[in-house]
Amino acid sequence: MIRPDAELLLDINDLHASVEAQPILNGVNLQVRAGEIHAVMGRNGSGKSTLSKVLAGHPAYRVTGGSVRYRGSDLLELEPEERSRLGVFLGFQYPVEIPGVSNLEFLRVSSNARRQQQGLEELDTFDFDDHVRERLSVVQMDPAFLERSVNEGFSGGEKKRNEILQMALLNPVVSILDETDSGLDIDALRIVAGGVNQLATPENATLLITHYQRLLDEITPDYVHVMAAGRILRTGGRELALELEKTGYDWVDEEVASTGQGVA
Amino acid sequence: MVSTATDWLTRLPAPAGALEPIQRRGREALAQLGLPTRRQEDWRLTDLTRLQGLLTLPLAALDHASAEAASAQNVPGRPENGWRVVLDGHSDPLAGVTLPEGVSELSGSELKQALGHTLARCGSAHHWPVEFNHSLASQVLALRIRGSVPPLEVLVGAAEASLSPTRILLVVEEKAELEILEVFLADSGAAHSHLFEMHLGQEARVRHGVVAQGSGDSALMAHLAVEQEPRSSYELITVSRGWALGRLEPQVVQVDGQASTVLKGLVLTADEQQFATHTTMRFEGEEGELDQLQKTVAAGRSHSIFNGAVNVPRAAQRTNAAQLSRNLLLSDRARIDTKPELEIVADDVRCAHGATVTQLQEEEMFYLRSRGISSARAAALLLRGYCQEVVDGLPPLAQRWPVIDHLLEGLER
Amino acid sequence: MTSVSTRDLVSQPYKYGFVTDIETEKIAKGLSEDVVRLISSKKEEPQFLLDFRLRAYKHWLTLEEPDWAALGYSAIDYQDIIYYAAPRQQEKKASLDEVDPKLLETFDKLGIPLSEQKRLSNVAVDAVFDSVSIATTYREKLAEHGVIFCSISEAVKEYPELVERYIGTVVPSNDNYFAALNSAVFSDGSFVFIPKGVECPMELSTYFRINSGDTGQFERTLIVAEEGASVSYLEGCTAPMFDTNQLHAAVVELVALDDASIKYSTVQNWYAGDENGVGGIYNFVTKRGQCRGARSRISWTQVETGSAITWKYPSCVLQGADSVGEFYSVALTNNCQQADTGTKMIHLGARTRSTIVSKGISAGRSSNSYRGLVQIAPGAKGARNYSQCDSMLIGDEAAANTYPYIRSQQPQAAIEHEASTCRISEDQLFYLQSRGIGFEEAVSMMVSGFCRDVFNQLPMEFAAEADKLLALKLEGSVG
Repeated sequence: MIRPDAELLLDINDLHASVEAQPILNGVNLQVRAGEIHAVMGRNGSGKSTLSKVLAGHPAYRVTGGSVRYRGSDLLELEPEERSRLGVFLGFQYPVEIPGVSNLEFLRVSSNARRQQQGLEELDTFDFDDHVRERLSVVQMDPAFLERSVNEGFSGGEKKRNEILQMALLNPVVSILDETDSGLDIDALRIVAGGVNQLATPENATLLITHYQRLLDEITPDYVHVMAAGRILRTGGRELALELEKTGYDWVDEEVASTGQGVA
Repeated sequence: MVSTATDWLTRLPAPAGALEPIQRRGREALAQLGLPTRRQEDWRLTDLTRLQGLLTLPLAALDHASAEAASAQNVPGRPENGWRVVLDGHSDPLAGVTLPEGVSELSGSELKQALGHTLARCGSAHHWPVEFNHSLASQVLALRIRGSVPPLEVLVGAAEASLSPTRILLVVEEKAELEILEVFLADSGAAHSHLFEMHLGQEARVRHGVVAQGSGDSALMAHLAVEQEPRSSYELITVSRGWALGRLEPQVVQVDGQASTVLKGLVLTADEQQFATHTTMRFEGEEGELDQLQKTVAAGRSHSIFNGAVNVPRAAQRTNAAQLSRNLLLSDRARIDTKPELEIVADDVRCAHGATVTQLQEEEMFYLRSRGISSARAAALLLRGYCQEVVDGLPPLAQRWPVIDHLLEGLER
Repeated sequence: MTSVSTRDLVSQPYKYGFVTDIETEKIAKGLSEDVVRLISSKKEEPQFLLDFRLRAYKHWLTLEEPDWAALGYSAIDYQDIIYYAAPRQQEKKASLDEVDPKLLETFDKLGIPLSEQKRLSNVAVDAVFDSVSIATTYREKLAEHGVIFCSISEAVKEYPELVERYIGTVVPSNDNYFAALNSAVFSDGSFVFIPKGVECPMELSTYFRINSGDTGQFERTLIVAEEGASVSYLEGCTAPMFDTNQLHAAVVELVALDDASIKYSTVQNWYAGDENGVGGIYNFVTKRGQCRGARSRISWTQVETGSAITWKYPSCVLQGADSVGEFYSVALTNNCQQADTGTKMIHLGARTRSTIVSKGISAGRSSNSYRGLVQIAPGAKGARNYSQCDSMLIGDEAAANTYPYIRSQQPQAAIEHEASTCRISEDQLFYLQSRGIGFEEAVSMMVSGFCRDVFNQLPMEFAAEADKLLALKLEGSVG
């Protein structure tokens, strides 16, 4: 839903970042307003996953230039946990398995950290248990997964559902979903996408990072951005994704080559 | 060093009681052995000054009711569905205890025959901690287990600055089933010398938990010898923290193969503590199985040592053994030494071992932090998760003890 | 496959077991201060080296032979060994034409032709026969690049200041029992010096040949790579078959300065004794490299197939920040051979990295132990080690032991060790056989597959050689 007067949630200006001295982002510009759904597409290595990690504050990525403002204040200054508490959510492409740490306990601590930030009352074990069981329906998840260790032994689809469950619990303002569709069969994809659609409101925004268009059959984006060589090469509406589906990414490579924007 | 040991031996009370011959032989052996030296591979890393400190302690004199009471604030009530025996290092452990059905006391010629049998089978003779216990222990809790018996809790308390020698012998008959939890508590300055022997008959099943919780300047010296007949199953789960000097020596032998052994250990050290775990697993027949996991967490200026021997001689074809040593180093002044030792002479075996030494994983930390959890909280959660894997294996009796909460105390330093 | 075929098969005869009949100058058996002085004077050494030897000898007298390795052998009588033997010829020849043809023929037979016409085109060779170096090829060509490659005896005479600056700085003369012995009595070996910024234009190689029956061989090798220099070096060794045991106690020292790189490969095929364990070389070797400079790299690759007893732990002291140590090893033991080998990676500098890949193959009644140490000192912030030690057992009388010592005092370091033990599975053999591959070929395919990670590290000329060597050694031991 595009409303030009909606609050500007995320304002990325000329963002440069590198990993182990290797530049990956080379000047990303992107504005996300409340109520919008953006899709960022691109080949592997185009920098789209790096963008999501940088926005969430992964310590291995170093910002070398540019700025990111989140609801008017500097996002890059914040620790990863502060970003989460303020409503920035990253759905991981490869959710980490943490043996021994109970999923339920993890969800409770995490959700309470966000609630505290929002000035809401923290939930004790019992109340949280009720709360989380109610939210399970968003992703049609079996309560048995609550008793297991975080992501341990979960299938690809179960891990992704667990991510969306966390999104449902944390009630984020900006959700960045990194390749949430990868490794999912069509049924799991529908469930995950259904969860995302349910959680979208006029007050929040979603950034879908994806390689394929098929996720966009389930979640309709307001904007589609094509990334290559660490920049956003082109921005369009939904039709851009369909065009990519037809023509592939070859034209992107050509464009990168011709403008000399490639960074090997 | 020999003279230090000899001096100490001359100051001991004269051998007496049912274990008199064993005390006598133990003292002779110790006089020969002297104190361990750093030239011995098994003691290379040990703080021997602290070991010598044990020889300055008086022998335990508190009776067991007081031992239980002394640490009462940490001790939950007696288990409802199980039974408790208290060892204090000098009084009769079975005084006032009603044995449940299926459990009988070993005495007389039966005891004489069984005592030391498993030790010999495990090659434990002349181990310093074994002879040390031999020379001191005047009591033994010696039981025969038949059928399926209620869970047994053994509380081993050492109060004040004293040395408490305790000994257990369990004969678990064919097809019998036992859950046993040994809980070691110690006041600062107190020391345990513990010797545990167990024979598992064919198809016997034993789950053996050890929770060893030291405090201040306490010491633990424990040797566990276990002998397994075919198709028996033995799980040993040990959780230790808080010992200024600790040494735990589980030695398991599968005498005729086809048995299953699980060894899980967790050791946390902080401050200036030093704890060594020396496990030995020997397969003497075909188709034995071992699943071993040793975890350590070292904080402060502590030193954690693990030595895990796995022995697969020629007779032990089709053995399947896996050993993993995982170590967390939390401070830049702590130290970890880990050494698996695999000795294999059979060709049709699967033996794998692995070791890692790391700090908390960056990816896991980031994942938790990206969900709004502070670094300190995330680290505590991860540590708890790291420990949980072992703690969860303890027999259900252990749930009455606040094991996991106590574990993490003092680690943040 | 039946167990009969396992035992029936016998090892391939050792094809390097001949003795060259040549007039040899030997000194009397036994070791004393006089012997040390005699060796030094025969080699016309400067005072500093005599002092070095005497210090080592005096220290050696105070030491006890180590007994911690998983090895069993009867006591060595150090007074029953000849400490110096040299083929009788005049001064080392300027031209190969003047070298005793018998010696050239010997090296020809060993597959190491030295003469101008036949020698390998891209490998410079230093040939050491008993206690002396008899020839070094391509010296002049290397000199054009500033590379010094000669015997250590010549280096002592021609470049005494370089030798004095580096000898004993990596392996001090009091380092261990065998290193002290070597420091006192070493006879010859190779010296390599690669000056700043030079990439050595060809492979360097030393070939060690023991010929005399009752001598010990104590060679000493020193390789120095200055800032930004790089070199790849390979050593090979063989000895005749005698029914007595012979002692070989070598010392190898490597020094890598900033950004330098040294790759040291060994194909060790000393006589291993017969199938009953009679005779064979006792191989007690101290090899250590020091990554002294930042970003330097030392890589050890060894293929150990010979010797009755092998005791060696080629090690890296990773001192310079970001320096890298590597150890790739294949150790194969058969019959009654015993090997206790591995490496030490001592991480001192920040962000130092090391990799250990060890493949042990035990057949017959042999015993094969991996023993390694990974140590992370408090200063080695960000250090990483990865070790992988795999054992393969062939037959049910062979032993495979693994003793990886790990010590860490630095939380911001990561150490990972993995090990496994396996045998050639019947399913795999059957699969290969059912595709028409002969039994022995299938076994050797699998053994070389098992060793692939290590062979890939060898200089190309030698990788195929190593593969063949292994197949030969194993021939007939599998069933």
